[in-house]
Amino acid sequence: MKNWKKILLPLAASALMLSACSGGGGGDATTAGSGGSGDTEKKEITIWAWDPNFNIAALNLAKEKYAKDHPDVTINIVENAQADIVQKLNTGLNSGTTKGLPNVVLIEDYRAQNFLQSYPDAFRDMSDKIKAEDFADYKAGPTSFDGKQYGIPFDSGVTGFYVRTDYLEQAGYTVEDVTNIDWDQFIEIGKKVKEATGKAMLTQDPNDLGTLRVMLQSAGSWYLKEDGVTPNIAGNAAFKEALETYKAMFDADIVKLNSDWSQFVAAFNSGDVASVPTGNWITPSVKAEASQSGKWAVVPIPRLKDTANSINASNSGGSSWYVMNVDGQDAAADFMAATFGSDAELYQDLLSKIGVLGTLKAASGGEAYEQPDEFFGGQKIYSDFAKWTTEVPKVNFGLHTYAIEDILSAEVQNYLNGSKDVDAVMNDTQAQAEAQLK
Amino acid sequence: MKTANTAAGSGKNSNTFQSSRSRRFKSGLVGWLFVAAAVILIAAFYFYPMIQALILSFQTGTGINMKFNGLGNYQRLFTDKMFLTAVANTFIYLLFQVPIMIILAMFFSVLLNDRNLKFKGFFRTAIFLPAITSLVAYSIVFKYLFAPDGLVNAMLMNIHIINAPIQWISDPFWAKVTIIIAITWRWTGYNMIFYLSGLQNIDQSIYEAARIDGASAIRQFFSITIPLLKPIILFTSITSTIGTLQLFDEVMNITKGGPGNATTTISQYIYNLSFEYSADFGYAATVSYSIVIMIIILSFIQFKVAGDRNA
Repeated sequence: MKNWKKILLPLAASALMLSACSGGGGGDATTAGSGGSGDTEKKEITIWAWDPNFNIAALNLAKEKYAKDHPDVTINIVENAQADIVQKLNTGLNSGTTKGLPNVVLIEDYRAQNFLQSYPDAFRDMSDKIKAEDFADYKAGPTSFDGKQYGIPFDSGVTGFYVRTDYLEQAGYTVEDVTNIDWDQFIEIGKKVKEATGKAMLTQDPNDLGTLRVMLQSAGSWYLKEDGVTPNIAGNAAFKEALETYKAMFDADIVKLNSDWSQFVAAFNSGDVASVPTGNWITPSVKAEASQSGKWAVVPIPRLKDTANSINASNSGGSSWYVMNVDGQDAAADFMAATFGSDAELYQDLLSKIGVLGTLKAASGGEAYEQPDEFFGGQKIYSDFAKWTTEVPKVNFGLHTYAIEDILSAEVQNYLNGSKDVDAVMNDTQAQAEAQLK
Repeated sequence: MKTANTAAGSGKNSNTFQSSRSRRFKSGLVGWLFVAAAVILIAAFYFYPMIQALILSFQTGTGINMKFNGLGNYQRLFTDKMFLTAVANTFIYLLFQVPIMIILAMFFSVLLNDRNLKFKGFFRTAIFLPAITSLVAYSIVFKYLFAPDGLVNAMLMNIHIINAPIQWISDPFWAKVTIIIAITWRWTGYNMIFYLSGLQNIDQSIYEAARIDGASAIRQFFSITIPLLKPIILFTSITSTIGTLQLFDEVMNITKGGPGNATTTISQYIYNLSFEYSADFGYAATVSYSIVIMIIILSFIQFKVAGDRNA
């Protein structure tokens, strides 16, 4: 008997430890996991997204609306940082078990193809619930794969050229003078503005090539070819002009440098720069400085001068919803289709209450969109943005946006400081990208 | 087992022999069972993942579309400019930061070991304190201290050392300097503690004898303190080397690897390959194993150079 005790004790101890370990790991799964009760009456949907003031707020509105007609569906909205979602999805999907994964997840458009292609069958084909044609054309690029529509397109990353009308006036320009211009004119105006006011035209983080992306997409071009895998750098005329224009901005000394988001926002909130050419998601940050009310206007983003198909509309960022191929997918698909997939009325609320600019075509008009904004001198900025959204050229972001951007940002440094010319930069980036993206 | 024993035991001698053997076997078994819990857990959570990672490092593809490609990933290491940049950056940190930190740690510990020093506890705590701060928290504080219009630039400009703000974060050279300053601040106090304990183990009579022989304080430091601290120097330089090779949090939070990969480290590259780029876990595992190989080689060299007589 004594011997048994000796044997049992360590066994019990190790069993305890093991269960403690699995308890720690499993805790997340049970709370975040899909209820798995697709067949029973009570349906449960778990959704992951980031940004409480934007995506999460939008989800809450949709949930409220949906809950009225569907009391049998419980919707759990879980907030995670975007980087965490990317990590959890990658590790979860790689492990081969869908336990702990949500029913619906928000994915940035630049990353979407990466997930769709790296994990076939992980996402539910939504072709039976929504129509790609119902949404802005350019959103079909990132959200579909192999002829199937996976994503429910969400917010528009359509760009605008936010400009300080008072600074323009001091330099002798009107809003008409900066409407539908090209980037070369932008630089010329920037120089004049700096002369007259001493303010930089725009602020840039040299590590963030967002402006380059905006220029590229305005011409329907991208880092990768249509297939989404072959680097499209060397010999890409639009890319060359974008790079040259980008450098010209720095050479003209109209750029105030920043190194992160808060400095970026501070640059225009403090009145240090005369314009912000970027995605419409910046609107709340611009409006955060109430003392500048009435001094701003939004006009279409500049285009590339010599690239014939470059237009005054582009995109920066944006994300879409994806239903995962796990238990409860039909309930989740129904929810998404009934709300973000078709409900034009919901999008009115999203805009008026949160400032979300959707991409559902049916929702691009209506009262909320026609509302003039006093901050922008009474301009109907949302109806303008909605109009530009429909014009954004469609490109395939492909698999490697951020991988190429890291290669490129090192090369762009060499270009900006003059140690390499534009062709060498493009050829070297192409060569490195080809070697790395296998 | 007991029944088997009595049944088999015919003579008294053989019985005692048998039972002592079985007792030894049983106590051995119990011992193994105690160890088993730890061994199973370590095997399951350390060795199994290590072996899986090794297998993974011979595969290529994104996400779950993996296929074996032999040594392809390892060949790719040598032509991958980003990896080579990351290795170069990591070794620059290593070559500058580790010696600076170790010399500083030794310097502080000798000062703080002075028996006539007042408020010893206060100074020790003050220098050790950085080591208990969160890596992310201090990185973010450093990022703001070294911002173009941050405190450091403002201070340097006010005392007229510089005329224009230094681009601590967005200049390739200064960004590396910023990272080195940050990790030195964070880890010097930690290493100092080892030197302090080493110093307290040195017999005071050795110093007394040296003083009687007329050795100066500097001579004492180089001829007594340093040789007797050799095992500690070896230990701290190996742990610091390993720590630097695994550097991640600071770079991720202060510079994000920029400007243009000028501060990327190997660990950050592994993270980028897995989560930032296109979920290439196979190649990420290969890069991880390259760190293992580097740590083994560097530790071996350090043992050979510094530790032969003490080992």
